[in-house]
Amino acid sequence: MIVNEAAETPVDNLLLTNAAHADVLAGGCACCDGREAFVALLRTICGMRDAQGAGAFDQIVLETSGLADPGAIATAISGDQMLARRLIVEDVIVLVDACHGAAQLSDEALCRAQIEAADRIIITKSDEPSARDTDRLIQTLKLLNPSANIEGAEKGVPVKLPAHDDATPYPLSGSGIETVPIKPHRLDISGGGGWASFSVWLSAVLTARGNDIVRVKGVVGSPDGRLLLQSVRNVVQPPEILPEPDDTGNGFLAPAEGVIVLIGRHIDEPTLERSWQKFVMGTGS
Amino acid sequence: MCSACGFPALAGHWSDAGVSSPGDKMRIRFTRLAIVNRLLKPYRLAAHDDGATPGFQLLAPDGARVMVKNLEELWKEAGRIAGTAVDPLSARALGDE
Repeated sequence: MIVNEAAETPVDNLLLTNAAHADVLAGGCACCDGREAFVALLRTICGMRDAQGAGAFDQIVLETSGLADPGAIATAISGDQMLARRLIVEDVIVLVDACHGAAQLSDEALCRAQIEAADRIIITKSDEPSARDTDRLIQTLKLLNPSANIEGAEKGVPVKLPAHDDATPYPLSGSGIETVPIKPHRLDISGGGGWASFSVWLSAVLTARGNDIVRVKGVVGSPDGRLLLQSVRNVVQPPEILPEPDDTGNGFLAPAEGVIVLIGRHIDEPTLERSWQKFVMGTGS
Repeated sequence: MCSACGFPALAGHWSDAGVSSPGDKMRIRFTRLAIVNRLLKPYRLAAHDDGATPGFQLLAPDGARVMVKNLEELWKEAGRIAGTAVDPLSARALGDE
């Protein structure tokens, strides 16, 4: 476990005495000022794992500073020659304070960037505001990131959230902030020659639209097997080869091969489909 | 590092995943080149892959050639030469202008 704090004096590590192993990175956020120290620490940890028998682990939990942009952290990892080969960003978990979440979402671009990058959103202190306010917050979060799982928790214990889908989301205005919510878009690439063709098209799309397309997920066929694709903004994780469906045992749920989900704004499915047909399939207009 | 082209051995761009046999690699280079050229055409650019040197050569309308080591660099460089990003979803690329 790595605890990162932007301030010089660490506090959070004192609360985490039960972690198997905790490192503290204080005095710089891992996504910006503290990036070098963060990358150096990850390298050390990967090195320790290689040392014989010492501290075997298969997961690192990074507790970021509240000011961190998950996209920038993914960039830092994939931009490092050693870490890019060793680590995969598996889950981006973002905590939302039920009392202050709505105000933060309306004023702070960073807060929106964190929500958009999340795989799981955990709402804390959900019993403090009225159930109706919490409902509205949940609907706002769903609007911003329709693909994330939204859960409630209190001091690490899961709690049930109110569930009224008819609540009105908070208005998302805010000056200078992108107000168009992100949406998931599906693209069927099953007839298109697999990874070799898809990655050419996708690399062009992400280079041009990396700020608008916040996530891309899917399973794509390749000569070596099925690849699991995941991106955070314009950073694509080194794709992993998935085990074949019949030898995975059970419990492994991968998305269907050949359907890609692009989550972002200013894109639409008909345009994606036309672009795919024209450039990859070489047909259509 | 390749002493002919100056590029170091690449750490592997994400787009290069999923192919390990030399035959597949060669086949894929040409599949990709066709798609790259379809994408570059609306911007009056073209790419060339000689099959031996790593990366691509990007050909500008004035005859200039730029070597790029992977797809990401190719799109960035192409955008720089064209003066606008090569965007497969744009009206220009899709021929709507």
